[in-house]
Amino acid sequence: MSAQNLWRSLWRVRRVTEALAPDADATAGPEELIGSLQLRHVDAGSCNGCELEIASAFGPVYDAERFGARLVASPRHADGLLVTGPVTRNMAVPLVKTLEATPHPRIVIAVGDCACDCGVFRGGYGVVGSVGDVVPVDASIPGCPPDPTAIIDALRGITRR
Amino acid sequence: MTAASLVVSGAVLGLTAGVGGATLPRRSRVAVGAVLVWGACALEAVAAIHVLVSGHRVVLHSAELLPFTGVNLVLTPLGAFFVLLVAMVAVPATLHGIGYAHHGLDSRMAAFAVPIFVTVLLLVPAAGSVATFMVLWELMALTSLSLVLVDHGRREATRSAGTWYAVITHIGAAAILTAFLILAAHSGGQSFAALRLHARHLAPVVRALVFVLALVGFGSKAGVVPFHVWLPKAHPEAPSPVSALMSGAMVALGVYGIILVGDVILGGGSLWWWLVVLALGAVSALFGSLHAASSTDMKRLLAYSTTDNVGLALIGLGASGLFDATRHPQLAALGLVAALVLLLNHAAFKGALFLSAGSVQSATGTRDLDQLGGLLRRMPQTGALFLGAAAAICALPPLNGFIGEWLLFQSLLHGADIGNTAGEIAIPLAVAAMALTAGLTVVAFVKAAGIGFLGRPRSEGADAAVEVPGTMRLAVGLLVGVCVVLGVVPTLVLPAVERAVRAVLPRVAPLSLAHGVDLQLVGLRGVLEPAALAAAMAGALFGLGALRRALARRPAPRVAEAWGCGRQLQTARMQYTATSFAEPVQRVFDDVLRPVQDLDVSHVAESRYFIEAVTFHNAVDDGIERGLYRPVIGAVRRWGQVARQLQPGSVHRYLAYGLGALVIVLTALTVIR
Repeated sequence: MSAQNLWRSLWRVRRVTEALAPDADATAGPEELIGSLQLRHVDAGSCNGCELEIASAFGPVYDAERFGARLVASPRHADGLLVTGPVTRNMAVPLVKTLEATPHPRIVIAVGDCACDCGVFRGGYGVVGSVGDVVPVDASIPGCPPDPTAIIDALRGITRR
Repeated sequence: MTAASLVVSGAVLGLTAGVGGATLPRRSRVAVGAVLVWGACALEAVAAIHVLVSGHRVVLHSAELLPFTGVNLVLTPLGAFFVLLVAMVAVPATLHGIGYAHHGLDSRMAAFAVPIFVTVLLLVPAAGSVATFMVLWELMALTSLSLVLVDHGRREATRSAGTWYAVITHIGAAAILTAFLILAAHSGGQSFAALRLHARHLAPVVRALVFVLALVGFGSKAGVVPFHVWLPKAHPEAPSPVSALMSGAMVALGVYGIILVGDVILGGGSLWWWLVVLALGAVSALFGSLHAASSTDMKRLLAYSTTDNVGLALIGLGASGLFDATRHPQLAALGLVAALVLLLNHAAFKGALFLSAGSVQSATGTRDLDQLGGLLRRMPQTGALFLGAAAAICALPPLNGFIGEWLLFQSLLHGADIGNTAGEIAIPLAVAAMALTAGLTVVAFVKAAGIGFLGRPRSEGADAAVEVPGTMRLAVGLLVGVCVVLGVVPTLVLPAVERAVRAVLPRVAPLSLAHGVDLQLVGLRGVLEPAALAAAMAGALFGLGALRRALARRPAPRVAEAWGCGRQLQTARMQYTATSFAEPVQRVFDDVLRPVQDLDVSHVAESRYFIEAVTFHNAVDDGIERGLYRPVIGAVRRWGQVARQLQPGSVHRYLAYGLGALVIVLTALTVIR
């Protein structure tokens, strides 16, 4: 692509993200997290459907970072956890430890039906319970899987941008 | 009491300590020997201080003591400096030995050999003739060899280390003896004064031969590459107080020998001699620090670091000779001052490091860094002292290592334009080598202190470690105290060092480095105020601490587990190890270090898709030992096999040899007559 084409396409294409939904209600989350929310994602036993949607929400099309939310690589760097899936027996202790490693003030966001109430896996032999049964949950995003816009709406509720 | 009688009574006291060690009951022999050795050290040190202060040498001659030649002791200011250095290491080392005695030092042999070794170390710099020097030198080698072999009954590695040490040290002794014999043959006497008087009339070739032989001989004692191979074998196997004596004091005497022959007896010499010394020093410094950075055995690391430090001292010595040969006496003196200060510093911090390695070995039963860890909490005082000595060897101000490297850098940087092409190429290279060495030394000692003392214990021995007895801590503390004093007020000892140097290089105008508590180079630009530096650093540390406390606006700290990615089981095996810490260095210097790595994967019998066990083996062996010594040893062994065919054990064959020899002799006689 020549430089001329590049400039032309930049000019012509303009914005490629989805249009903003109407402003979310300023609801959940402590004041300190307004404008900047660093999140550690924990897969507590998900089918990876929610992961795809989270990846999409933070991808170039929906671009959740516009609103101050970022995914980070360690709970030590995070303001909160983004938990997906029903909490399996193997992941119960690691989830607690991850929350323990997150500095205050912190929030826990349960993403997807499984995280909210175990979804189709309720009562499974390997399932301890929903995220709320293991750690205190501050915000929930229902859906199987939730739409990226739903995730972004929930995050905007916390970052209030 | 005259200085001469002090020297004699010191020697007698030292020998008494040896006899006492050999005859007293096991409970008391080490302690009594140590106390008598302190007396000997004190007497010799007083004599040495007298020589350094007054500038008069002490001369002693006894015709009866040694058959044919007699004993000649001449304590010069240079020798006096080294006597002080030995005494400085010997007192803490023997003090530490009292607590360390149950590790083999309380055997009759060891209790005899330690005092004799110390006494001989104190007397070698005072030897005034070839015969006296060689007798003392050999006694030094033999007593230290017997001390390396203390543990020979239990460990194969000890026997092997003893063999290496014995062979290399005796090759060195043969070279030294040859050098002295060549000199003595041309001078008609064997006192060093006579040798010096006649040495200047020798042909240049003979002088060069003598110097090279001396360099080989003394270099092998000093642990200079490529004669260093005995160091990383013998130092780890010897009991730690002995390692401290060998590394701190004996190795320094190797450098003393080079100064003795090169500067005192031969009186300088050609430029290329000192270029060789400079090159050997730079190679030793780099090689030693590189291997120290990749070693995982604490004492092996310290042994390689000895080669590194001797290399630095040789850089100073070589630069000094270079400046002397190009008629820059001021710079030459500065270089030699730097070399001597580096040796003194090395004796202090390496002594402390070897002694604390001994404390660690005594408390945990191992010296493998990969088995240690968490010792700072279990042995807080030993740990703090080790950290102090490690900071000193890394040349961090305000400790003594910094002063030595500052002097050496000053002498090299001021010598950038000495008007000789070879020198002007060599000196920047030496500066570069020093810079790399300094960095690698930091890597090595961050590893030793960080892996050994921080984190969690990696073995049961390290977990169960308790603080060592007070005498052992006091011994290390004395040497670390010397490091601090030499670093903050180096002007206490610099006048003495200068006097020693001016006795070697008489042409030099006064350097007068010491101005109150500051260091100032006369005739050169360069000022250092160590006391002010120390005060500023202490003030900055204190100020930062106070500022942090004042600004702290945070809730009470929450105690939480270390983040381990949510694993349910966190063990000490998940920590960084010494091997993994050294891996990047090992990878960068792959071509020099040539690590041997073995990865062995065994599969379960049913399927190759399932792995039963993985073993990984990583070793960095000495490239010079592998490339230079092993082929020679192999060739000697093969020749031995060939020679064995001549001697198959058959009586008939031997009778035939006898008959054959008789026939040849008779035939030869008939032909000749």
